Amino acid sequence: MKPFRNVSIDKKLSLVVILLVFSALLFSSGFIYFRTYKAFESVVEDNSKEINKQIILNYESHFEEIRETGRYIEIETSKLETANQTNLYSLYNSFATLNADIISISLVDDTGHVQATSYSSYVQNSYLTEHEWFIKAIENEGVYFFLISPNKKVFLNTNEEVINASKRIEYYIDGVEQVGVLLIELSTLKIDTISKQSNLGEDGHIIIFNDQDELIYSSDSNCIDSTCLSNVLARDLIIGGKFVEINGTDMYMSINTIHGTRWRIATFINVEIISSSQFTLSMLLFYVFITTIILSIIGTSILTKQITKPLNQLKTHMLEIQNSDHLYREVDIKGQKEVVILAQAYNDMIKEIRRLLDRLVEEQNEKRKTELIALQTQINPHFLYNTLDSIVWLAEQKDNEHVIEMVIALSRFFRISISRGKDVIPIEKELQHAQYYIQIQQIRYSNKFDYTFDIDESILEYEVVKLILQPLIENAIQHGIHEEYKGQIHIKAYQENGFVNFEVSNNGYGLTKQKIEEIYEKIASDNHESVGLKNVVQRLKLYYGPTADIEITSELDKNTTFKIYYPILKGEI
Amino acid sequence: MKKFLIVLMSLMLFALTGCGDKDYEIPLIIYDFEDLYMQDFEDLIYLGDNYSEFHFVSYDSKNSQIIQNEIVSDVLLNDSNVIVVNPVDRLGVYPLIAKAKENNISIIFINREPIKEDLLLYDKLYYVGAKPEQSAEYQADIIINLFGGNPYALNEFDLNDDNVIQCVILKGEPGHQDAEIRTEMVIEELHNAGFEVEILTVEEAYFSQDLASQKMRDLLPLYGESMEIVIANNDAMAIGAINVLIEEGFFVDENLDGIIDRATEVWFPVVGIDGLPIAVELIEKGYLYGTVLNDSETMAQAINELAYLLVRGLGMNDFSFVIEDNKYIWIDYKKIY
Repeated sequence: MKPFRNVSIDKKLSLVVILLVFSALLFSSGFIYFRTYKAFESVVEDNSKEINKQIILNYESHFEEIRETGRYIEIETSKLETANQTNLYSLYNSFATLNADIISISLVDDTGHVQATSYSSYVQNSYLTEHEWFIKAIENEGVYFFLISPNKKVFLNTNEEVINASKRIEYYIDGVEQVGVLLIELSTLKIDTISKQSNLGEDGHIIIFNDQDELIYSSDSNCIDSTCLSNVLARDLIIGGKFVEINGTDMYMSINTIHGTRWRIATFINVEIISSSQFTLSMLLFYVFITTIILSIIGTSILTKQITKPLNQLKTHMLEIQNSDHLYREVDIKGQKEVVILAQAYNDMIKEIRRLLDRLVEEQNEKRKTELIALQTQINPHFLYNTLDSIVWLAEQKDNEHVIEMVIALSRFFRISISRGKDVIPIEKELQHAQYYIQIQQIRYSNKFDYTFDIDESILEYEVVKLILQPLIENAIQHGIHEEYKGQIHIKAYQENGFVNFEVSNNGYGLTKQKIEEIYEKIASDNHESVGLKNVVQRLKLYYGPTADIEITSELDKNTTFKIYYPILKGEI
Repeated sequence: MKKFLIVLMSLMLFALTGCGDKDYEIPLIIYDFEDLYMQDFEDLIYLGDNYSEFHFVSYDSKNSQIIQNEIVSDVLLNDSNVIVVNPVDRLGVYPLIAKAKENNISIIFINREPIKEDLLLYDKLYYVGAKPEQSAEYQADIIINLFGGNPYALNEFDLNDDNVIQCVILKGEPGHQDAEIRTEMVIEELHNAGFEVEILTVEEAYFSQDLASQKMRDLLPLYGESMEIVIANNDAMAIGAINVLIEEGFFVDENLDGIIDRATEVWFPVVGIDGLPIAVELIEKGYLYGTVLNDSETMAQAINELAYLLVRGLGMNDFSFVIEDNKYIWIDYKKIY
């Protein structure tokens, strides 16, 4: 069965159903065909035999009538003291005249001389003792022999075909018993009449042949001598019945003897009806067969579609999910109950996975945010040390004004850094935080740089992740102060196309394109080496999604701008 | 298990062969079950079945050669190599012979003798029967005995004392071999023995008892006075005649004991042929003068023995009957009077 493993369920199901239906149909139609055919054949066979019997009865009654006449003549002849033409002519002649089938009646003595005859004049044939009818009759007592005499009558030299019925009889001449042969010549007309009356179907025919298998009579114009197919077939079967084919026509041949003669009759009855009904039957069975096969194919495919279509939908859906991020789509399946249940279970499972994944991501983000904020809020000890050192230095210089300014700035800087533990603060606060930082640094760096703020007032109310400007400014101070001239740091905040933009520019040495690429790479890299810029970008992305980013532009020795931007959250507009 | 199978197999084999011989069927195809004589004959054939090798199975041809042809065609398909056929049509058996020859099957013909030409067609054909002329010879003997045996001085049964036997003949079916031969031969035998016979009439009663009664009733007014004996071709016709003769006072059972005492009571001579049990009974009661027994019992024995030899494929040397021309087994008639 291994080769079938890769076959889909619908093909398998269809194959099995069709095979089953096919074999069952084949068997049952074969059986029906065979049984019906046999039954029909035997009905036709019986019918043919019955017709044969009927025909034979007709012939037998004809011959019995002749024998009856013969018997009467025999008795009348034997009653006479002397049997001769004078005494018998009128009797014989009246019978020959009355009975249309009888041509003549004659009494021949044992030497072949005509003793009496119904003919008024006749030719005395000197060889009568050599005739078969004479020999047969004289040799066998008590039996009538019916023999065909081809092409001539015994007493008149004509060419008319006659049947000679002969029997040995006793008669008296002057009271002395004699042995002779009674000969009745019969017309073949009656034989023809009887056969013409029989309904044998198209091309059906009758042949009569004798004990030597010689054809005596045939109603078929194609069968004119003993070599014709009908006679050959009949001769081979001897007696009985058989289906035969003659000139392409199916016939049922039945052969029987005609009582009291030594003749056999073979009837050939057209049984084309068998093959035509055979054809009809097989066509009928064929149509039933084809229709049933087609219906079962349709039925099976509908059934299997009902099962496999939702299954395939489910499969496709699963593959899609496997190959993409569209985890959040539920599959909607109609069809076979079991598959629908399966799909529902799948949906529930997907929902659960989604819920779990969401939670996991959320948890991860929370954790990350916490980590990042923790990193950011770590007070750079150098910054604090340097600031305090500067304050000490200012105090020593008695520059109280600056000391106060510095200490206030430092304290406010830290207040905002802490922001009572909040991650997100209004942009105004963030800008204040940046200003305190840059104020402290300016004092520390002894006015080596100037700074300006260019703020779009409309964004002040918006919130921002805290502590994102300070690293940019720190970066600008550290790298953007030119030795030869006073540094300029420009901080710009504005909104544009639904994004909040912060730009921190300096007029320092600037960055080469290569350097910029390196910075981008560092920011995008996954290593945990934490750089201030990277931290900023990561936090922006965590809070505001992938559209939040950093953009660095630089003109060497002229101007370098770090721009960060993030989408304004819907609730804030 | 193997042993068990072997035992089982041999048991089955035993069952097959043990009864097998007895199961060997020889079809006995009778021309007509309605024929009383054939019924008796059939019974005798069954009774004579003392061989364990086979048994007979009867078929009724219903007096139709067509049916007989069908039966023979059917039984030839069975595995019996011997069939017994009582032909319907004496002339119509040659196709059956051809069929049997084709299948190499022996046929024993009984009761109706096929013509010689047909019996010569094939060497495995036999006829068991009686020569019809012999029955007539024996019937003539009985008649001669009745009239005292001397053709020149007939005894008191020559009622008119003219030394001529005045007889009425009841003939069977005209054209029937038995009827023709019996009628002809009985007269011929009487002639041969030197007796003069005057046939008052030959009435065709077709071997039938009823028809014979009818014919008898018709002819009595004409020949009742002159007839001295009624000669019937068979017992049935003789009985038919006797029934009428009793009515007409030709038999008078004076003491009403159901028996005619020929010495003291009135009776009239009627002779038949066949020796039917009822005819034999009537002879004992003094009604029927005599009959010729068609010795069916001996024929039945001959048929059985012949069938046995043929079934076993034995030669005819062991056959206890005389076989003529390797075809004919002639069984003698018996005179009963």
